[in-house]
Amino acid sequence: MRTIAVALLAVLALLVSLSVGATAISPRDVWFALFHPHVHSDVNTIVWLLRLPRVCIAGLVGAALGVSGAMLQGMLRNPLVDPYLTGVSAGAAAAIAVAVVLGVAAPFIPALGFVAGLATAIIVAVLARRGTGIDSIRLILAGISLSALFAALVTLILTRIEQGSAAQTILSWLAGSLAGRGWHEVLWTLPYLLVGFGLATLCIPALNVLRLGDVRARAVGVDVDRAQWLIVSSASLLTAAAVALGGIIGFVGLIVPHMARRIVGTDTRSLMLICAILGAGFMALADAAARTLFAPTEVPIGVLLACIGVPSFLYLYLHEARTTP
Amino acid sequence: MIAASQLALRIANRVLLENMNFSVTSGEFIAVLGPNGVGKTTFLRAIAGMHDIAGGSLSIEGRAIGSLTISERARTIAFMVSDDAPVDAMPVRAAVASGRYAYHRWWEWRETEKDATVIAQALADVHMSEFSARRFDTLSSGERQRVWLALGLAQEAPLLLLDEPTSHLDVRVAHEILQLLRQLAHSGKTVICVLHDMNEALEFADRLMILSDRSILAFDTPAAIVQNGVLDRAYGIKLEAVRSATGALRVFPSC
Repeated sequence: MRTIAVALLAVLALLVSLSVGATAISPRDVWFALFHPHVHSDVNTIVWLLRLPRVCIAGLVGAALGVSGAMLQGMLRNPLVDPYLTGVSAGAAAAIAVAVVLGVAAPFIPALGFVAGLATAIIVAVLARRGTGIDSIRLILAGISLSALFAALVTLILTRIEQGSAAQTILSWLAGSLAGRGWHEVLWTLPYLLVGFGLATLCIPALNVLRLGDVRARAVGVDVDRAQWLIVSSASLLTAAAVALGGIIGFVGLIVPHMARRIVGTDTRSLMLICAILGAGFMALADAAARTLFAPTEVPIGVLLACIGVPSFLYLYLHEARTTP
Repeated sequence: MIAASQLALRIANRVLLENMNFSVTSGEFIAVLGPNGVGKTTFLRAIAGMHDIAGGSLSIEGRAIGSLTISERARTIAFMVSDDAPVDAMPVRAAVASGRYAYHRWWEWRETEKDATVIAQALADVHMSEFSARRFDTLSSGERQRVWLALGLAQEAPLLLLDEPTSHLDVRVAHEILQLLRQLAHSGKTVICVLHDMNEALEFADRLMILSDRSILAFDTPAAIVQNGVLDRAYGIKLEAVRSATGALRVFPSC
C-alpha cells in the first residue's frame, strides 16, 4: 500500500517537473502532449525535446543514486555511507577537469567521466580486497583516500586555469546539473543503468541477510564474498552512469535510503524498489525547483539539494534520535 | 555424524590445535572447554566450514566439510555466533526467516508455506512466538540469544554449533537456554557448544571436550573428566569437586 502511494507521488512529481520551467505548461497540456507525440506544436516540442528527456534523466539519476546508496549502506551496515564512497565521483571529476583543460570536445566528456569513475571504483575495490572478498574498513579507507587525492587534483587544476568557460564547465560538473542534457545521454547510459539495476536485483536476497552481519550471513548460506563484489560492481556502475548524466549530485544517495527506511522498514525487497521510486521522484522535483526558483537562471541541482536536503535530513534524523528510546 | 582424524588448525602460520582425533554421534550434546586462547572458537569455526583446516581430515556424515557447497553447509550446520555485531531494527521474525536463505535459489524471493511453518516452529521451540513482530533491537540479551537459536533451528540443520551462548546471561536465562539445547539434542540434533562455565558444562552436556596444550586433553563424560582431574590440568588450578543435594556434579577452585 505504501509502495503504491509512493509510486503515485513519484508519478505526480514527474508530471509537475514536466509542467514547470521557463514556460509553464498546464498538466492537461502535458498529458495531451505525452499521448499525442506526432502533433506539431510548441508545447509538444518543449515537452518531448526539452522537458521529457530531462525529467527522464532526473528520474534515472535519482533512482540510480538511491539504489546504490541503499546497497552500500546495507553492505557496510553504515547509514552514513553514500554512493560516492567508492571514489566514482572523485575519479570522474578529476577526469572531467583534465579533459576540459585539454580541450576535449563536450560530447565526449560524460563518457570520459563514466569510464574514469568506474576505473576509480575498480581501483578502490582492488585495494580493499581481502582474501576473496572485500574488507569494509579497507573499502572506506581506500575510497576516502583516493577521493581526497582526486579532489586535490581538481582543486589544483581550478587554481591553475584562468577563470573562464573551462572553469565554469568544471564547476558545473562538480555542482551537478541536468542543464543541456537530452535523449542522446539517456540512450547511451541506459544499457549501463539497466545492467546496474539488474545486478542490484540479484543482490537483494543477500543484502537482506547481510543485515545480520557478515558472519551470520555466511552461516546461513550467503556467499558473502561474491555478494560484496556484486554489490560494489552494481553500485559503482549505477553511480558512474548517474555522474555521467548529471555530474556530482550529492545527498540523494544518502538521504533517499533513510527516507525509504522510514516508509517501508529495512526489508531490502521493498526498500530497493522504494529507493528507486523515491529517488526518481525526489530528483524530478529538485530539478523542477532548480529550473524555476530563479528562472531564467538555473540553480545547480547539487547546491539546491544540499540547501534543502541537508537541513531536512538533519531534522528527521535528530528528531528520530530524540524520540527513539 | 562428525569425525576428525589428525586434524590440525592454524592461525597466521601458528599451530593452534593439532593431532585431534574424535568422533561425535547424532543426538549428543558436547561442551567444548579450555583456557582462553586455546582455540575453542577457531575449532568451532572449522567445524562450521569457516576456517580452513591445516592438516588431517574433518568430515560430517561422511563428507569432508571443505567439500560442501555454501548452501549444503548451511542446510547441514547451523553456526550460532554470539558476537555483538549491531543488527538492524528488524522484526524478530525477519531475523529468523534469514535461516531459510539456503533453501531458496537466487530468483526465489517469496517465502514458501514450508518456510512459514519452519519459522513458526523455530520461534515456538525457543518460546519466542509472541515476540515475532518485536524489533530485534528492543530485546534483552537472553531474548536475542533465543532469536539466534531460532535462526539456527530455521536452517533445519542436524548439527548446531554455538559459541558461548550463555555469556552475558543471568543464571536463570542461561539455564533455560542450556535446557533447551539439551532437549534439542534429545530430539535428535547434535549440539556442540563452547562454554566457559564448567558447572554448566558438567550439568548439561553428555560429553566434555577439553582443549589444552594445542590438542584434545580429554573427551569424556562429565563424571570421568572430574574423576581424572582433567580440568585441574587444563586450567592449571586446583579444583574441588562436590555433589549437590540433587546429585549434580560441581567444581570450585579449592584455594
